[in-house]
Amino acid sequence: MITTGSKFLYGLGSATAVAAILWFIANDGGSIGVVSLAFLAVALFFMGVIASFVRDGHVLSTDTDAHASSNAAQRGVGRSWFPVGTAFSAGMVAIGSVSSPGIFKVGICLLFAMLGQWLIKNWSDRASSDAAYNEKVRAWVVHPLEIPVGGAIILAIIVLSFSRIMLSLSKESGLIVFSVMAALVLTFGSMVSVRRGASRRVIGAVAGVVLVALSGTGIAFALDGERHELVEAAAEDHFAHRACGEEAEETDEDAARSVSAKSSVAATVILRDGRLFAEMDGWNAELTSITLQRSNPSTILFVNEDDHEHRMVVAYGKIVEDLGGGVSKDTVLEACTSLITKGGTQAVSIVIPKPSFASEEPYSITVPGVEGASIEIQVP
Amino acid sequence: MKSSRRWSNISKPVLALSSLVAVAGCAEDAPQDTWQPAGPNAKMIDDLQRPIFYIAGIVGVIVFAAVAWAIFRFRDRGQAMPEQTHGKPALEVALTVIPVLILIGVSVPTVGTIFDLAKTDDTEMTINVTGQQWWWEYDYPAVGDNAEVYGISDPIVTAGQLVIPEDTKVLLRVTSRDVIHSYWIPKLNGKKDSVPGRVHLLRMEGSEPGIYAGQCTEFCGLSHAYMRMEAVVLSKADYATWVANQLEAYSSPSAGNVSAVEGEKLFLQQCARCHQVNGLLNADGTPNVAAPDQYVVSGAAPNLTNLMTRNTFAGASWDLLTPECRDDVWNATPGEFGEKYLAGVSEDCLNQKDLREWLRNAPEKKPMYADPTKLTETGGRYRGMPALGLTEDQISALVAYLLELK
Repeated sequence: MITTGSKFLYGLGSATAVAAILWFIANDGGSIGVVSLAFLAVALFFMGVIASFVRDGHVLSTDTDAHASSNAAQRGVGRSWFPVGTAFSAGMVAIGSVSSPGIFKVGICLLFAMLGQWLIKNWSDRASSDAAYNEKVRAWVVHPLEIPVGGAIILAIIVLSFSRIMLSLSKESGLIVFSVMAALVLTFGSMVSVRRGASRRVIGAVAGVVLVALSGTGIAFALDGERHELVEAAAEDHFAHRACGEEAEETDEDAARSVSAKSSVAATVILRDGRLFAEMDGWNAELTSITLQRSNPSTILFVNEDDHEHRMVVAYGKIVEDLGGGVSKDTVLEACTSLITKGGTQAVSIVIPKPSFASEEPYSITVPGVEGASIEIQVP
Repeated sequence: MKSSRRWSNISKPVLALSSLVAVAGCAEDAPQDTWQPAGPNAKMIDDLQRPIFYIAGIVGVIVFAAVAWAIFRFRDRGQAMPEQTHGKPALEVALTVIPVLILIGVSVPTVGTIFDLAKTDDTEMTINVTGQQWWWEYDYPAVGDNAEVYGISDPIVTAGQLVIPEDTKVLLRVTSRDVIHSYWIPKLNGKKDSVPGRVHLLRMEGSEPGIYAGQCTEFCGLSHAYMRMEAVVLSKADYATWVANQLEAYSSPSAGNVSAVEGEKLFLQQCARCHQVNGLLNADGTPNVAAPDQYVVSGAAPNLTNLMTRNTFAGASWDLLTPECRDDVWNATPGEFGEKYLAGVSEDCLNQKDLREWLRNAPEKKPMYADPTKLTETGGRYRGMPALGLTEDQISALVAYLLELK
């Protein structure tokens, strides 16, 4: 006889076996995943056989009458929302398959989650005649999955809401808003830590309200859209076209974003009183010519000491691509910082593969809009 | 009885090994000996390490003697268990205070030396040093004092041997193109790691003309042991000659040197993809520009301009000079050294054996992950020089051409 406990193990074993087959097909042959899943399936079937043999430990295997007459065998399955959830997920899969891959993927995930929950609920409801114990059994099985997944979803909501708010607020407002929020979090945390008798229910309620407020604000800001600089940047498509000119407002993708890059730079380029010069370790002078090693990552730090916003542009030749039929395409090699206000710094990391003598145009560092601001780059 | 027999069995090998270790420390011509400084920076380290070594030695002898005495004096002779005491404040305080005082005494000159070795505002010349698997590149920027004082009007790029003028405070800007290496010329200064994406500074100064050997001291892959370097110190006059020679325009082999002319063509076909020779022209008259970034993982291969003005090749692992000629240069007096070094490598002095073996099958001589069938992880690029499958005639032609590069 297939007992309640063994049903679960057989079902899970079957699902694992199917997963192993799918893995084998998807990964074009043998892999460690197939071996692992196959072993897991065998192990689950083996445990299922043992569960069947010992009749889930509820009654003696020799007491065949009890198999049908025990309380556990008599108890029915309770009601749940999982069939509804399963139907809803199946609907999402169907709609997604003809409309949007995103809906389809979410539907698939939900469908598996609902089916799993339904399966476990039905199994646990028959675990014994004690409903409270059955609920505890269900919790043992699903909580190790439910709690981390739930936490991840809540975290995702927080991160997404934060990002929507940050992308929508102006830089100045963002500073104020997040300073206030950080202060509130610190205050609330301090109060909770000081008042040790604070009710968990109250803390939970406050956290829930904050989560709802945060996600609501996030939705509102998402509907309001991103701040105008970002909208303009998207319209400029600055990652696709020349972003280093005087007219462009946004940063170049080659601008170094790591703090560590600034800690050991090949050269520091300074714009001061309309003059552009470089400082490098080893030279106690304002340089108008620098040497960078070929094919070597070099980080150049730009310091704007001018009253106006400026960006630094590093130009290091061009690539001529032969498109055939006498047609060629020139790609200018350059990298730049974003516009920097007075006192600001930003680094650019570049690798120059060709020596400067091989270029028709000299390699240089310039600041658009500042007449005569140029530093020669030599690459031996 | 048993223990004395066991001791007599192992005593001879132990004594022999100890003697060998002791004798090995007496070598006078060890080229990488930190106890024989040849420049002010290494001298600073030497001046620091000697007293510390003596202090540590004395402390070590006292501790070992005390332990040996305690072991012998209180060995088990069947006597009764002595009275057990716990704590002796005066002794404990003394044993804490004395090491603290010693460490304070040691730290004062140590910190001072560290700061002196880190100074960069008094250096007179700057050279970029770039490590990659498994060789060192040196480039001399034509900037500031390099150009104005030392006549480096165009950047000079060389490999294997760092050439510097004597009694000149040189600042090395050390970095790496691939993995972490470490630059170390023991007789001239301490070690400095070369780290990708970072520039580390190292002072270098030689007090008298000569060649000073070094070795990469950070394990950097298969041929780490073959990643050597040499610093050549020349008198200021000789250095000016060296600079002028490096900046001389390239000239192709004369038509009379048929083998070298053939070698130049072969170089353009086989070698110039990775190795730059400044001034070398393609068959169509355009300047040849090597593209090691397309063929080598590190993106660089040694620049072979004026190769025969150097004494080494392949990451300074092998000499371009025969052993006799090499000894003549290495053992020259400081007064004669410059002339002998600047003479470069003549046909008579060329170490044909190692150079030909290298051209015949480089990966066999120096392991370099250069199997063309195993380049999937590197996007088809080599780590080091692959075997080119040259015939003996082609090798002879290339050798003849390379001899012209000086």
